[in-house]
Amino acid sequence: MSLHGAFTAVPARQVFARPQPSSPLPSISQTTKAVDTSQTEKPRREWPEPVRQYVQRAFAQENHLPDVSRQEMETKLKEIIAESASSNTLHETDWANLLLPQQVIQAGRAASAIPKPMPTNAHWGNAFPSVSAQETNASANGVISKKRKSSEWENSQQAQPPWRNTNDRNVLEDRISYPDKRQRNDSPGKGTSKSQYHLDSRKKRFEDSKSRDALPVQPASAKADTVMEDGPVVGQCQDLEKKYFRLTAAPNALLVRPLHVLEKTLEFLKKKWRKDGNYSYICDQFKSLRQDLTVQHIKNEFTVNVYEIHARIALEKGDLGEYNQCQTQLRALYSQNLGGHPTEFKAYRILYFIHTCNRTDMNDMLADLTAAEKKDVAVKHALDARSALALGNFHKFFQLYLGTPNMGAYLMDMFVGRERLAALSNICLSYKMDVKLRFITEELGFESDDESARFICEHSGQAFLEERDDGVRLLTGKASNYFEPAKQAAFRRVDIKGQI
Amino acid sequence: MDALFHDFKQAHYIRNGPLLADTLSPIALPRDPNRLRVFHSQSDDYSIASDVKYQVLHYDKSIDITKAEANAWVDIYIAYWKSLGPILDAENVPLEADWSKIYDRWKDVANSLIKGYSSGNFPSWTVPCLYVVGRHLRIFAIKADESARVASGGVQMKTGGFQDDIASDIGKNEKLEDAARVINRIFTLCISDRASLEESRKWALYYTTNLLFKTYFKLNSISLSKNILRALSASRTDMPVLEAFPKSHIVTFKYYVGVIFFLEEDYKQAEESLTEAYKLCHAYSHKNRELILTYLIPTRLLTTRLLPSVSLLRPYPRLLTLFMPLVRAIRLGSLHDFDAALSAGEPEFVKRRIYLTLERGRDICLRNLLRKVCLHQGWKDDGQMRKVSVSEFVAAVGYSERGGRPLGNGEYLDRDEVECQLANMIYKDLMKGYISREHSVVVLSKKGAFPGTGI
Repeated sequence: MSLHGAFTAVPARQVFARPQPSSPLPSISQTTKAVDTSQTEKPRREWPEPVRQYVQRAFAQENHLPDVSRQEMETKLKEIIAESASSNTLHETDWANLLLPQQVIQAGRAASAIPKPMPTNAHWGNAFPSVSAQETNASANGVISKKRKSSEWENSQQAQPPWRNTNDRNVLEDRISYPDKRQRNDSPGKGTSKSQYHLDSRKKRFEDSKSRDALPVQPASAKADTVMEDGPVVGQCQDLEKKYFRLTAAPNALLVRPLHVLEKTLEFLKKKWRKDGNYSYICDQFKSLRQDLTVQHIKNEFTVNVYEIHARIALEKGDLGEYNQCQTQLRALYSQNLGGHPTEFKAYRILYFIHTCNRTDMNDMLADLTAAEKKDVAVKHALDARSALALGNFHKFFQLYLGTPNMGAYLMDMFVGRERLAALSNICLSYKMDVKLRFITEELGFESDDESARFICEHSGQAFLEERDDGVRLLTGKASNYFEPAKQAAFRRVDIKGQI
Repeated sequence: MDALFHDFKQAHYIRNGPLLADTLSPIALPRDPNRLRVFHSQSDDYSIASDVKYQVLHYDKSIDITKAEANAWVDIYIAYWKSLGPILDAENVPLEADWSKIYDRWKDVANSLIKGYSSGNFPSWTVPCLYVVGRHLRIFAIKADESARVASGGVQMKTGGFQDDIASDIGKNEKLEDAARVINRIFTLCISDRASLEESRKWALYYTTNLLFKTYFKLNSISLSKNILRALSASRTDMPVLEAFPKSHIVTFKYYVGVIFFLEEDYKQAEESLTEAYKLCHAYSHKNRELILTYLIPTRLLTTRLLPSVSLLRPYPRLLTLFMPLVRAIRLGSLHDFDAALSAGEPEFVKRRIYLTLERGRDICLRNLLRKVCLHQGWKDDGQMRKVSVSEFVAAVGYSERGGRPLGNGEYLDRDEVECQLANMIYKDLMKGYISREHSVVVLSKKGAFPGTGI
């Protein structure tokens, strides 16, 4: 035992063995520098001996707790010392008898497993970025006028049944705080890494779901324990919001929201998205919404609606992985004729296959389309864009690009760059002497000469631009093969996330 | 029972693979239509093991097989007998056939056969058994999936498990995917055989590969074929030369390789493989030649810009209706006819996966049209630089696209679009020269302005 102790004390001491009076708490600042910069900005100081010993104890092997990671512990340790330092109690604190950070964390977890009696709304402010920040974000996005926003879409397309409109906003607001009690009360400090936080909340959730079962407030908890393994769950949860967790056990009916609650959830999330535009929050909420639908085997127009809205939002935010997941589901749902907007999403699929240069899937897509679908505006647009590119008709392609229906422009943006390079290559090889920059702007679907000049410069073609009396010209004769390598490189790398 | 094991022993005496394979056929042989029924009725679940053991091990000790080999055959024939129950039921009442059960039982046959080979019991002359078992495994799998699809009424929604989304991997081809795995094991069994070439299972490689290709094509996971090709080329050095294999194996193999290259847009390699397949193909294998031509014609359209002659297509009425309208339009340089033929044939082209390739034939059609414009201006190959006004081309393209119809109300000629197409012709080297925007003319090369067309 003593041997063990003597051996393990070494690593902790090693760090402190190099006395660097100028550098405070070297072990902490070194290991967590990347995560937290606030610490390093503070004035340097000598730490009292008891504090140093406390730190040493925290890092000692024999005090290591298996369920608290080193990183977590370090963060907590830093918090404790910083708190003490800021309140000027560094010398008053009884460091020798103070709980070690890992013990504090463990105690905190145990405490948080018992839900707080009264939820506080104060938590909201911390959980999400302030509204003003979101507004500036939204207005920046609004500049791109040719694209529709997912929120616009909902406004114009989804007629709301009257009973949804009658929902009092206050009623909704009253409910939204429930999930808060499931959050850790030692909410993660700035230094905790995101993944660690998720890990914790995951762990937390399992403790929590058990404790919820035992709550006397919840009705029929005994019944819920005997949830059948295979059949659909009948949800009993009334919360509007729910954080997403991947299921690792049979779903618990108490944590699953029934259809009528989910319908309100969707309305709530739509409002929330329009108001805040917080994607990570929305995505998480939609994932839990989808999960609740799945475990209850709900397959109807509402389900389609949920996936469509999530797909549009993901598209708008360029989250291809999530978008593809939704597309896969939608494809299966549409095949059951549950309503929705199949042609809109088929058009997106075509555009996506143009992006991935996937000929096999494109062929299958063509085989799947019916004559009626081919006449649909969005599908026809996507097909025309495809055939224009197949024949190298960039003139027609960029005309189509400027008039993309729905939210297809978000998809087209992913490959418009490489197509511009292709067209530029083409023009440089086939036009001799020079062309006006205006011609490039018009043919390549740029919004201004500035934009097209910038594009050429980005591919280091500034040498081929020449200012003349009647405007800027591109010296195509000299640039003959100049853009060809860039074009080929652009076509080579097509990354495929969550392929449909 | 006697007839079957008589053949079994006979096959071993004369080392006749196909005869041995016949004893494992799930379909009765024409020369002995009642064999399966008789064999099945002569035993039952309880005594089949001892019956087969008696037949293989004890009845006649004159054949030269080891005990381990004999035991492996016993397992195979027991599995085979068990598979015959549902197979014969299906024959009796086809509408109530339980294909899924047939598949599972047949898979047992395949597995016990694979086991026999992997423990090194069977000599290489027996590989036709792998062919017959593998071939029927694939057929039964397809039937099982079909009947599952009919039963579920289209899409299957998996609802068990913990997944977050409604439809997980739609299990449309569950059995065929499984069959692909089993056949893949057969492939591995053959390719990993280290015996000397005379005694090697490598002789079964191309047949098995073809079976796998067929399965992957059916499963729409053609990309998996690439792995097989990679494995084959990796072990090329210690394999018999391709020419030494039966031609029937090679033709099919070359065909699939050609189609794989075709789908990957590697038309040069595709042309090579398909041409070889076409040359090797038996002149009377009408169906196979037709299949090869289905891909070879679009390939050559792009590589050599050559069109098939009517006499080549005449023996194949299907190909004639498939390709002739396009070919005629390309010859004439009629964009209108080309577009019409392409869209009329679209369903069939898409089904054969040649649409996206044929579509590019429009370039050749356009090239022919532009060439005509130049000829119309009284061109001769006299080494003079030629200038043609862009307007001439614009007028010609518009005329050709409308099929000779005059410009209708609200229609207009999109000059820029035609110019873009001209640029494309130059970029793709179908036309030599350059466009001068300043003067709105196309300046064409002195020699060979339209490469390969004589002017």
